[in-house]
Amino acid sequence: MSRRPHKRKARGAEVTTVVVLRLYIAGKAPNSVQAIANLEAICQEYLKEGHKLEVVDVLEHPGRAMADGVLVTPSLAKLFPLPAANVVGNLSDRAKVLFALGLNLKTQ
Amino acid sequence: MNPMLGLVEGSPERQAIDAGEIDAVVDYSTSKVVLLPAARRALRELAGEASIANHLLAALPAAEYQSLLPRLEPLTVKFGEVLEEQGVPVRYIYFPIDCMISLLTTAEHDRALEVGLVGYEGVVGTSLVLGAEISSVRAVVQAGGTALRMKGTSFVEAFRQCLPLQRVLLRYAHEELVQARTTAACKLFHAVEARLARRLLMTSDRLRSLEFVLTQALVAKMLGVRRATVNEAAGLLQQRRLIDYCRGKVTILDRKGLEAASCRCYATMNELQMSQ
Repeated sequence: MSRRPHKRKARGAEVTTVVVLRLYIAGKAPNSVQAIANLEAICQEYLKEGHKLEVVDVLEHPGRAMADGVLVTPSLAKLFPLPAANVVGNLSDRAKVLFALGLNLKTQ
Repeated sequence: MNPMLGLVEGSPERQAIDAGEIDAVVDYSTSKVVLLPAARRALRELAGEASIANHLLAALPAAEYQSLLPRLEPLTVKFGEVLEEQGVPVRYIYFPIDCMISLLTTAEHDRALEVGLVGYEGVVGTSLVLGAEISSVRAVVQAGGTALRMKGTSFVEAFRQCLPLQRVLLRYAHEELVQARTTAACKLFHAVEARLARRLLMTSDRLRSLEFVLTQALVAKMLGVRRATVNEAAGLLQQRRLIDYCRGKVTILDRKGLEAASCRCYATMNELQMSQ
């Protein structure tokens, strides 16, 4: 993914691409809790402020899961920047998550 | 029907299920979210732990809790039941488990202001904790359920001997005091809409549910305002899609939003609880 700064917008702070993520979980079920913790750690380390994360509890909002085509939880969807990608499971496989987020370890 | 049948063999979803990394499967044929057995078990255990007892009793060391247990008597309380009357000696101390009790300060016999709300996180009967025998509030059950009660005399004796019990209950008595003090300022300075939002959040916390029954007449009485005022405030919260309020049944639609709409008093009371 290219990260060119948009000149028009760049006033003051440097503009970086904001990664938009949505994590579907099932309440406080063990894998869901783990997925949140794993994802937060990854975001903290690699994305810092440059991300937006929405956590959707499918036990409370089953309709959202259906509308978004979610098959299982926990499930992480990267909505922006394109291409969209998703990872299922408790997100303990860091390389897999970084790949889906479009971040390669070598850029670090 | 097995919802997993819909998932293709060898797909990432199936692999994650086999690896034990999945909690739930969305079954499109029934439009339901189906929890997998391990997650179901874990959630049930969590729920069980939460309802085992009252928060204050749970905070006691196991030995102290066990020594109190024979003197604690479980009972069911009903909506409207008066557990304590203002100006009358306290006979029992109550540890709510899944009920909710409102503490009222009565001005005239038909006019009262709610100065505290007690659920599983607290206790009814703090007068005894503070060394007074006469109750300073009227305690009325607002949501029926179970509670554990102990005779006043047994409690005073146990309280004198048990240091952890003193620590836990004095801390809670302080919390209750803060609730009352905050309520006084809140009633004077804050808009009814914000106060209503706070009251709904407090109810939701104590009942551990986003849905509960609360008639407007009751809320009006608790907040010390007219019913029409509550109706108006509830309408505003409803318009903002924060709650749904229909025939006394409240559903919190957007908890974060409701927190933002409530006055600062909610956070003040909560921070104190969290710091314990």
